[in-house]
Order: sequence, then structure tokens, then C-alpha cells
Amino acid sequence: MASQVGLDQETFETFRNWRIKRAEYAKQWKERTGGKIIGYFCTYVPEELLYAAGILPVRILGSHEVQDVTEPHIFAMFCPFCRDCLAQGLKGRFDYLDGITIAQSCLHIRQSYTSWEKHVPVDFSYYLPMPHHVQSKHAVPFLIKELELFKAKLEQWLGRKIEDKAIEEAVEIYNRNRQLMWRVFELRQGESPPLTGEEAMEVVLSSQMVDKREHNAALEKLLGRLAERTTDRPTGTRLMILGSEDDDIEFIRMVESCGATFVIDDHCTGTRYFWNNVEPNSNQLAGIAERYVKRVPCPSKDWPERTRVPHVLELARKYDVQGAIVMQQKFCDPHEIDTPALTKALNDAGIKTLFLEFDVTVPIGQFKVRVEAFLEMLQEDDLF
Amino acid sequence: MSNKAKYKTAPLKCWKKAKELRLKYYDDYAKAHERGGLRWAGGAWTFSAIPSGLGEDVVSLTSEPYGASIAYNKEFSLRCLEATEKKGYARDLCSYMRNYWGSILLDEYVFGGPFPKPDFLWQDHICCSHAKWYQVVSDLEGGIPHFCIDVAVGPYEEVAPHKVDYLVAQMHDGIEWLEKTTGRKYNDELLIEAVKNEFRSTSKWAEICALNKNIPAPLEEKTMYSLYVLGTLNKHDKSTADFYDELRDEVQERVAEGIAAIPNERCRLMSDTQPPWGFLSIFRYMEQFGALSVGSLYTFGLVGIWEDKPDGTWGPRTTPMDQGIEIKDRDQALRLYADWMLSKPEWQHFYSPHIKTEMMIRIAKEWHLDGVMLHYNRGCEGLSVGIAENRLGLIEAGYPVMAFEGNMGDEREFDEARVKDRFDAFMETLDMKK
Amino acid sequence: MITAGIDIGAKTIKVVLAEDGKVLGKSRVLAGIDTAAATQTALDEALANAGLTKEKVDRFMATGTGRKDCAITDREITEVGAAAKGAVHIHKACRSVVDVGAEEGRMVRCNERGKVIDFAYNEKCAAGAGTFAEGMARALQVTVEELGSLALQSKEAVQMNAQCAVFAESEVVTLIHNKTPREAIARAVLDATASRIISMVRKVGFEKDFVLIGGVALNPGFVKAMKRGLESDVYVPEDPEYIGALGAALAAAE
Repeated sequence: MASQVGLDQETFETFRNWRIKRAEYAKQWKERTGGKIIGYFCTYVPEELLYAAGILPVRILGSHEVQDVTEPHIFAMFCPFCRDCLAQGLKGRFDYLDGITIAQSCLHIRQSYTSWEKHVPVDFSYYLPMPHHVQSKHAVPFLIKELELFKAKLEQWLGRKIEDKAIEEAVEIYNRNRQLMWRVFELRQGESPPLTGEEAMEVVLSSQMVDKREHNAALEKLLGRLAERTTDRPTGTRLMILGSEDDDIEFIRMVESCGATFVIDDHCTGTRYFWNNVEPNSNQLAGIAERYVKRVPCPSKDWPERTRVPHVLELARKYDVQGAIVMQQKFCDPHEIDTPALTKALNDAGIKTLFLEFDVTVPIGQFKVRVEAFLEMLQEDDLF
Repeated sequence: MSNKAKYKTAPLKCWKKAKELRLKYYDDYAKAHERGGLRWAGGAWTFSAIPSGLGEDVVSLTSEPYGASIAYNKEFSLRCLEATEKKGYARDLCSYMRNYWGSILLDEYVFGGPFPKPDFLWQDHICCSHAKWYQVVSDLEGGIPHFCIDVAVGPYEEVAPHKVDYLVAQMHDGIEWLEKTTGRKYNDELLIEAVKNEFRSTSKWAEICALNKNIPAPLEEKTMYSLYVLGTLNKHDKSTADFYDELRDEVQERVAEGIAAIPNERCRLMSDTQPPWGFLSIFRYMEQFGALSVGSLYTFGLVGIWEDKPDGTWGPRTTPMDQGIEIKDRDQALRLYADWMLSKPEWQHFYSPHIKTEMMIRIAKEWHLDGVMLHYNRGCEGLSVGIAENRLGLIEAGYPVMAFEGNMGDEREFDEARVKDRFDAFMETLDMKK
Repeated sequence: MITAGIDIGAKTIKVVLAEDGKVLGKSRVLAGIDTAAATQTALDEALANAGLTKEKVDRFMATGTGRKDCAITDREITEVGAAAKGAVHIHKACRSVVDVGAEEGRMVRCNERGKVIDFAYNEKCAAGAGTFAEGMARALQVTVEELGSLALQSKEAVQMNAQCAVFAESEVVTLIHNKTPREAIARAVLDATASRIISMVRKVGFEKDFVLIGGVALNPGFVKAMKRGLESDVYVPEDPEYIGALGAALAAAE
């Protein structure tokens, strides 16, 4: 890996292995704990509730491989990500799942869930009508009721109660994970971040695949190592990446091999996943509902105000961003509608942007040409 | 089966009136300010009865039918689409909106004159872009107050008090917001009137569609588009409710006298999703084979509100008035209104294509269909969602399916010759000759 | 009875003359801009090939995307119907036909009499299989035929975007710049083309035997990619690009 010159490899090996060998991990976890595993399709799923029930929630992501099995199920005008996810189910790559669940967000990923439900039978499936109007004060009370229904369904399936105490503990473990992630990400604010964007992505992606207790332990170890990690890798241009679902490690690596470092992101496979905590609440479900309603939103829920705009600008300021790559899964409507406004806001704040459309595989060479031109432009800005 | 005329046919007497009502709607919107009234814009599915409480001079422009009207005018549509693209909006976004936004950018109203800017935006949200359409409208117009109600609480078969509460609470907020935004005092009596009109018009439209179960069908879908459109413009207005009463009587008469939509009916089909509005001629092409579309979940269920009848068939939902319910206050009106709208068939498929497949199979059975044409509509994620699963489900249930790709509002994505070609092949598989 | 089937495709026009299911003569010409003239040329060449005059032909039948413009006859059969008829005639056990031409891919499921049961066309995003392969062959500076034999030599399977030809094309450029062996690129191109076609095949669902027709079936690299992808044998008739015209000629005799 040419991009990692000057960085030791083993620091992030645990996380990388978890991501790459996610199926192996899940199967071993199951054997080890005797617990059930539920695959989820969107980060609006309140994982705390599943975790409290002794279930391991794992995110269903694609494989970035060409496939020919989804055309009978999803019309090609929907995003490549949702097709890639469904393909994993149809090909039996998630045969260790006991159930699947989705929280309502965009129409695209919803189809992976509804087709999976029918064609890859699992024991348990649940569609959580996560409210869209998260800026309304009525969203939380509504979601509390929906969480009660979800909890009852889980209890019925498992044949046992999910105790408040267990929820409290799950919330603690999840919050702990978020705090640790925050601390790792804060290190990227420094002049010479001790980790690359690729490494940061490995950390977040793996956190969506493994038991948070184990992830927490690994994060604590990581923080210790990062404090001592010395690097002669030049940071280069400080970039931000934002947009729709993105676990394209290869792309991140390519960009960071061109004299740049990603210092922050706004992705559901990045900061949006862990940015907000569950605040203490005597009613556990209310605390959880509050967290998911008030988290940094997916654009499909970001209305009538576009709250992501000030959030992204604040991130750019805090992390001293010089340029932003705005990426998007092909056909992702919620992002497409926000892109002109978001780009304008970034440009007005003096941050130049490069827009790229992603597919299951990206034309890495062609994108490299564009990225190099973009970086050259930013570096020239620096000179004058 | 021969392809000869075997039924008598006659033009629809109401036709002209439907056309007049539609044009009057667009004219009223343009002239509202001259008359001292207010203008609002929002989607065709929004709770349009609610702004009616602000006064009788408050009129709307619903964006989807407006976008369709633009699509019908190919030259203007192309200019609109290009204007929107130039502004940086993606080509695969809702094509109604790309037409509509283009019309704002060009400052041209498709019915003549400059584009009439709305005073406020009033919308509901179920697909992943509904509310966001109006963020763009507001951006393009330099800022317009915007209120939107989330209705995505799950399918009606799972309706529960807290789901209705969520909608009603947002509606109450909405009314407060309307008062604040417009400076007008809200009139509950006008609201109750409008809600009742809407119950009447949407139930009546379902009744009209149900009459198409008859053989021969008294209406075919191309004609239905010109009639159902009133329910997408002004479903809460007395003029629409009254018109549908009149239309129901006429269609009933046609059934009694055996008047058919096409004289050579022998192959009954349904379509799905919005048609390519610039190419409605394909429906005439079908008639050469004796084939007609008797409707679709789209024409039946986007405006019409339905229920299971005691005999197990699908029919118009009984209005609260017909149940003897007296609507006395705002909260009761809103509660009934929310429940009514949540049962809209075209809202159910957002949660699962399997629910939609069931509804389609039901239509196929009760309307005696020979096959289904699925428009894989690149212009609308909301109605194309899950369409491939619908295809599988219908085939599994034994109905031949023809799938064709197109776009309701962007003619660049519709290839008329190729679609006719597909249709020829479909007719060949059903042993139908011209 | 002697009949003529005229297949007016996006790029070429094919004519087959047949009597009692036997082919008497055939021809193929580029469609060009003047379809009427090209159709006439194709017919004349087929007649010459069979040693017949036009008067001897009892019936004509047009097929293909340009069939409505056929100046010789107004009798027509869709390309889907013609493909099924032709393929079942050539290979009795055929129940699925895939027709891959320059612009369009089509999948047809049929019964033992060559009657169509269900069919699908490739979705818009995945259009242009034949043209794509040609363009990519040009980028690699080989002919389409060479592209096929090059692909067969590759032991490496390189990933390429299978959905969108435009995306795939830029990936080819990347592969060339990365000095990926030409054989591997050729295989990637044909694998991607086949993958797009197989997506469509899965939509209709396939039953054996499986017959591959149309001009692209002449490419051995593509055929191998199809076999690999479908995990099934694929039967390619001797003149795969003439099967539509043959089907039309057979339909004319009915």
C-alpha cells in the first residue's frame, strides 16, 4: 500500500481484519455467545435496543463486485449501493443472519430490505417507520411509541423481556463507543493527523460490524498507540469528504496517495453514525428516540431547514479543511437535491469542491486525474 | 377473437366541463393576487383542505400536475429541463419538479405570462424527496415560508392511534403556522366544509373507477387522466366534488346502456405509474389491437379512497357523513382527515412492493384483466419503487406483464417507436392481431 | 412455398430465403442511411445467392427494429417472435433465446412451437452491448473478432462496471494506463457485456436449452463469458445473426 508510506500497518490491522472478514467474525461471535445476529440496512436503526436484547446488529453493506442477480428485483434507476447490498443477500453472503431490519429513510435502500425479506427468508424482519419530520417536536413522542412496538416484536420473537437495565447498559456501551470515536476523530484536527482518512474509515466501518464491547476495547488500545504514533507521512492538502453511503476504501486510498489527507467526513459510514450520544433519560426508549431524531440527519430527513449545511461548515472550520470532495451514489435523490445548496455554501465559505458520482466500482484512473487537477488547483490557491 | 367493433360508443358529455374546470384552476391561481387572494404551492397529495380555512380566496398550484402540463408541451418542457440542469440539478431527479423548477427559472407560466410566485408552501412527505422539492422552490424564489407534514407512519393495515396523533399534531402546528405566516385568522367552518368536500370527491372518484369493472369498460385510461386530474388539483373544492357526482351519473348511464370506451374491446389491461405525458398517443395505438387500459392503481388510488365492501370487493370508502358522523370541531375534522388520507391506496406501496402487488392482483381479478403494462418510470422514484418486484408477483399470479421504460415528464427518456415495438411483441404473446 | 424473411436491424439488414424450413439463400448488408435501398440490395443479393428471381418468392415477412419501414412488404413479426421461431427451428430443444445485437439485447422464453411466453429487453442503462464491445475493441486496437480470441487467452479476471457502458469505458482507460495486459482487459470487457445480458436473462428466468443469437454471438470470448456467468451450456447456431430473418421467413409460410 503505497499510500501508507511512513505509517505502521499493524495499528489498524484489527479494524481492517474485522471489516474484511466480517462474515467470519459474525459466525465466530455466534458460536461464542449463542446470540442472534440481525442485519440492518440504515444507521437510523436503534442498535441499542437490539444490543440490549443480546443481539449483534451488523450493517449490511455491499461488496464492490460486479453482479448480475438484482435486475429482476430492483429497477436500474435506483442507486448502485442498494443493488449491491441486495446482491449480498441473494448470493448467500449473509447466511448467518437470523433477521433483518430497516429504519425508514430513503426509497432506494428500502428495496434491498423488501426484496431480501421475500427472496432471502430469515426468521425475523421488521420495518421501523422512523419519522421523517425530525425537525418537528412531535417526532420524538411518535418514535417512542414505535420503539415500544419494535421492542414488543423483538420480545415476542426472542420469547423473553428486554429489561430496562439491559437497555441502560447497551446505551452506555454505545455511548462509550461514540465518545471513543470522537476522541479518535479529534486527533485529526491536529496539524499532522496521526491517522489517515482510510484508517478512519476502517475504524467506523468495523464498528458497524462487530460487538461494540470489543470495538471499545480496540479503540482504547488504539488511542494509546495513536498518542505515540509518529509519522513522517506528509499531511498534504486537508480534505473533507461528504455525501451518501461511502465505504469505497480504494478511492480514499487513491486520493491520499496524491498528496492529500482526509481529515473529516459527513457520511453515514463516518461521522453521522456516531456523532450524537443518547442523553440520560429515566425513560430509556425516550432517550433513544431523542438521539435518533436529533442526530445529524440524512438529507432525506433534513427539512424544512437544511441543518446539514451549518453542520458541515462547522466541521470544515474545526478540522481546518482546504477542499471538499462531494461524492454521491449514482441516482441518490436526497443528496442530489442538497448538492447545489451544499456546494454553494462550501464555496461561499472559501472551500472549493470536487463532485464525483460513485458506482459499485469506480473508474479509479479517471477519478485520479480529476483529483490531481483538483489538488493542484488548491495548492495553487495556497501559493498566491 | 375478432377485432371488429361490437359495442356502441359515444363521447363523454362531461369532457368539456372537466377541461374548463382545469383551465379555470390554473387561471385562478395566476389571478389570485389581483383579486386580493393568497397563493400557495404544494404537492397533489398534500392536505389541501387545510389552507382553505384561511379564506375562500386562497388558491393553490399543485406541482406534479403542473409539471405534467409542462411535459405535455414538449418544446417548453425541454427548455425547462435544460434550465434546471444548467442550475446544477441532476438529470435523474423527479421530472415533474425539473419541469416546474425550470418554469420558475425561466419565469414563464405554461398557461401564459410570468410565473406566479406562491405566498407559502404547503406540502406532505412520503417519498424521500417530497419536502425537499420545496427547499429548492424556496431557494429559486429567494425564500418562501415552507411547512410540510410527514405522513410516512406505515401502511394503513397497521394504523394505530399514535400514528394518527402524529399527523394531527403536525396539522395543528400547521394551522398555527398558517395564521402566523399569512396574518389571517383561521376559520374552522371553512376547514370542515373543505374536508367534507374532499371525502366526497375522493370517494366518488373510487366509485367511478369501480364502474370500469363492467365489460365493456365505459372509460379507458387516457380519458380518465383528464378526469382524475381535478382530484390532483382541487380535491377539497366543491366544484370537484360536484363534478364527480355528475360524472358518476353519466358513467353509470353508460354502463346501463352498454356504451363502451372503445368499440372493439377484447383485451383488458392496466398500466402502472404515471404515463409518459408527452406520448399519450400510445393508448390510441393500443386500441388498434382491441386493447385498452381500464385504469391502474395510479389512476384509481392516487385520488380515490377505497375500502373492502361486505361482498369482498373493492369499492369507494364510505364517507364519515354517510356514516352519520357530524363534524363539529377542528380536531375532529383533522383526525378524520388524517385517517382518511392514510388509507390512500397509492401510499401503501411505499412501505412494501408486496402490498402493491396484492392490490394489483386484486384489480386484475375484479376488473377482469388479460395483462398488465408496467411503466418503469425513470421520472418518479416514488411510484417506480419496487416495480420489479411487482412484475415478479404479477407473473407468479399468472398475469402476462409487459415492462417498458420511460419517463413521465422528460421526453428525452421516452422512445415511442421502441415502446410500440414492445407492445407489438406483447400483443403477439397474447395472440392479438391488429 | 418459398418465403423471404427480412430482418432490418439497427446496423445491418439480413435476408433469408426459405422453402419448407430449408434455407435457400441469405445475405447481409449494412443498413446505412437509405434503408429502402439497402433492403432492396439485401434482397437482390439473397435472391442471387439462392439462384432465384423475386417472382418465385410467394411471401415476404419483415422483422427487426426497422420492420415498419420495410418497402418490400407490410407483413411483419416482432423481432422477439422471429427470434423464438428461428431458434426453435434450428435447435428443437430451445426454450430460451438471447439475441444480442449492436444496440439491444433481448431475452425470450418460448415453448416447443416457438411461441413466445415471456420476454425482456435490456434496461436503458445497460444498452448498447454490441456497440460497446466494438468501441472497446477499437480502444485496444484490435477487431471485435480479435477481442474475443484475446479474451480467451486471459487467465486473469479483472472487475469492470457491468451496469453502465459509459462508466465501463472510463474503467478501460484506467486499465490501459495501469498497463493491465490486453488479454485481461479484453476479458473484462466481454465479462461486463455478458454480465449485463445475464442480468436481463435472470429477469425472465431461463429454461434449457439456451440459444444465443445475433451478431455478438460470433464472439467466442463473449460466448465463454455467458457460459461462465450462467453456469450453463449455451448453444450457438452456425449463422447466429441470421436467425431473426429465418424466423420471419418461417412465419411467412404459416
